[in-house]
Amino acid sequence: MSSPSADFDYEATLAACAGGQRGALHALYEQEGPRLLGVVLRIVRDRALAEDIVHDACVNIWTRAAAFDPARGSARGWIYSVARNLALNAVRDGHREVAVDEDTAAALDARASLEAWHDMADAFAWQASAGRIAHCLEQLEPVRRNCVLHAYVDGFSHGEIARRLDAPLGTVKAWIKRSLAALRECMT
Amino acid sequence: MNPQNGAGLSAADHELAGEYVLGTLDAAQRQAVQARLAEEPALQAAVMAWEERLLPLTDLAEPATPSAQLWWRIERSLNALAAPAPRPAPAPAPWWRNWHSLSLWRGLAAGGFATAAVLASVLVMREMAPPPATRFMVVLVAPDDKAPGWVVQAGTSSRIELIPLGSVEVPADKALQFWTKADGWSGPVSLGLVTPGQRLEVPAGKLPALQPNQLFELTLEPRTGSPTGKPTGPIRYIGRAVQVM
Repeated sequence: MSSPSADFDYEATLAACAGGQRGALHALYEQEGPRLLGVVLRIVRDRALAEDIVHDACVNIWTRAAAFDPARGSARGWIYSVARNLALNAVRDGHREVAVDEDTAAALDARASLEAWHDMADAFAWQASAGRIAHCLEQLEPVRRNCVLHAYVDGFSHGEIARRLDAPLGTVKAWIKRSLAALRECMT
Repeated sequence: MNPQNGAGLSAADHELAGEYVLGTLDAAQRQAVQARLAEEPALQAAVMAWEERLLPLTDLAEPATPSAQLWWRIERSLNALAAPAPRPAPAPAPWWRNWHSLSLWRGLAAGGFATAAVLASVLVMREMAPPPATRFMVVLVAPDDKAPGWVVQAGTSSRIELIPLGSVEVPADKALQFWTKADGWSGPVSLGLVTPGQRLEVPAGKLPALQPNQLFELTLEPRTGSPTGKPTGPIRYIGRAVQVM
């Protein structure tokens, strides 16, 4: 799979969407559809719901593209924030808490994910910011790093992380707060 | 880095922004942040800074090939969005242009007894509370049988409360979405998704002050809410704000 942002102009694509060019949204869908679906599926863990959310995300991107302001952040970051917000709203508003079982969770080991990500990071020329999050995550204790990855990648709630790591809920909340503070300091 | 990365924001708000992007906030906390984002550029900048910081982690999720129908569905939705814009006349009028229709309100008036009973009981409860300045109450009734299903309360506090009067059946792939529209607004504004049988609190911060006769209703929408930002499904409950004190 090609590097996500190598040859694709996300900003120009959003501008074209804002201008009503249907082909631009289709190009974006071709470029990012599988990655968007992968990110959403990992969070909601239901294929039909994940496709519903990618559908809604694309309609949102189309209707809200004019509101995207490149001075405030990257176009690719904005696109993913639209999709992740819809996915997170869906799982937080719904009743997924009860649906998370150990078998599912066991398949999602965060440390293995980080290693896999390292392999990918080695294989491609990552931007400086990508290297920085990797570097900063490595500064965290493994259990705290896993909290961050389970939350962001798997969409786990505090309670789900506590069950997954067999740690008290209050401890997990404190780990995440401190991890975020450390990441912000490390990346600023 | 981004020059507007939330400088001047408290450490607690940077943390809140981080947890929002990370996804660990519960539904009520997410809604509270989303309400603040509309009005607080510094918080918005902090959220976007976190989006940028954590974005590389999206590559940890394995890509999944969408089904062949997905793009077709998206296109169909774009067509539906585009269709009414150039020629609004032939399209069915959106409900908010019809909501003053005589038959609808005649029907609602027929449900007046039930509505009055609910109003009376709520007013009795009210008397036990300290008297505030201006309060509004709305009884939302089903358009077909006029059965009251929900009550909306809004006082001087910074929130609107939607209170269920009973249980409601919603298809598994659908959700109820809460809307409001006052006279002079160009269209209804979403107040969020509703869990059947559960109370919903909406921070009133991003809304102008409530007006008498302001319309509230619940429509049936896709599970993740209306994709267009306006009601797309049938009205399940509807009512207008009544000033009660």
